[in-house]
Amino acid sequence: MIPFIIEILSVGLLVSAVLALFLDEVVYSVAALAGTFLFTALIYGLTGSLFAAIFQFAVSIGTLAVLFLSGEMLGDKPLKKASPTKIAALFGSGIALSLPAIFLSVSGASGANSNIDFGTALWDLRGLDVLFQAIVILTIALGIAIVLFEKKRKGAQ
Amino acid sequence: MDFVILSLVMLAIGIYGLLTNRQLLKVFISVELIATAATLNFVMLAVDQGLGQAMLILAFATDTAVSGVILALLVIVSKRYGTSDIGKIAKLMQSNEDDEVESS
Repeated sequence: MIPFIIEILSVGLLVSAVLALFLDEVVYSVAALAGTFLFTALIYGLTGSLFAAIFQFAVSIGTLAVLFLSGEMLGDKPLKKASPTKIAALFGSGIALSLPAIFLSVSGASGANSNIDFGTALWDLRGLDVLFQAIVILTIALGIAIVLFEKKRKGAQ
Repeated sequence: MDFVILSLVMLAIGIYGLLTNRQLLKVFISVELIATAATLNFVMLAVDQGLGQAMLILAFATDTAVSGVILALLVIVSKRYGTSDIGKIAKLMQSNEDDEVESS
């Protein structure tokens, strides 16, 4: 049962990816991208990678919130709405693109076979990395804030 | 179900979108799709192994950082040139450079 659900989810993943790229209006594209992230998180969860699913979900919610705002602010409005024919063609191409993943196989046996649990891997093997990543992200956020503040200050002068 | 092929197809869709789309936000969406394809491949090659998921956090951290930088640049460029079309921005930049050369 679960392999069948994963196949349906992967079809939905590719359809929403195609829609995200080729829909004309930016807000609809972002909504389709939300579908892509949701399907990815569900696939992670159903295949047993629960932590990856939670991270994917959390990161995608932040990205989508910012994208919705910037899509409304910066996106050019299209002159005409997308026709149902175009949307159907996008659906069809997404389904067609997912067929090779369902019916073909190129994977061999994975070389990585460590059997280390997530907590041990995260804190014993990569504890310092995780802390440094947090510092890097905070530094980048600070840098972006400074760039935007400087831009605003120059604009005001 | 082969996740390597699935992530390859997603990577191809993202690269195609990166090369053909003219809107800055669509380019950003293409980058996100490429990052999703990479993480999907990464997780699926290490299913049921904590190490793969722990390493995935690094991918998410870099992805978030890249997203932040791209969005900041996107806002700056869009506000400065008044459009988010790459072709129009390139033309406006060229005309600005020509004006500067003529004035000097």
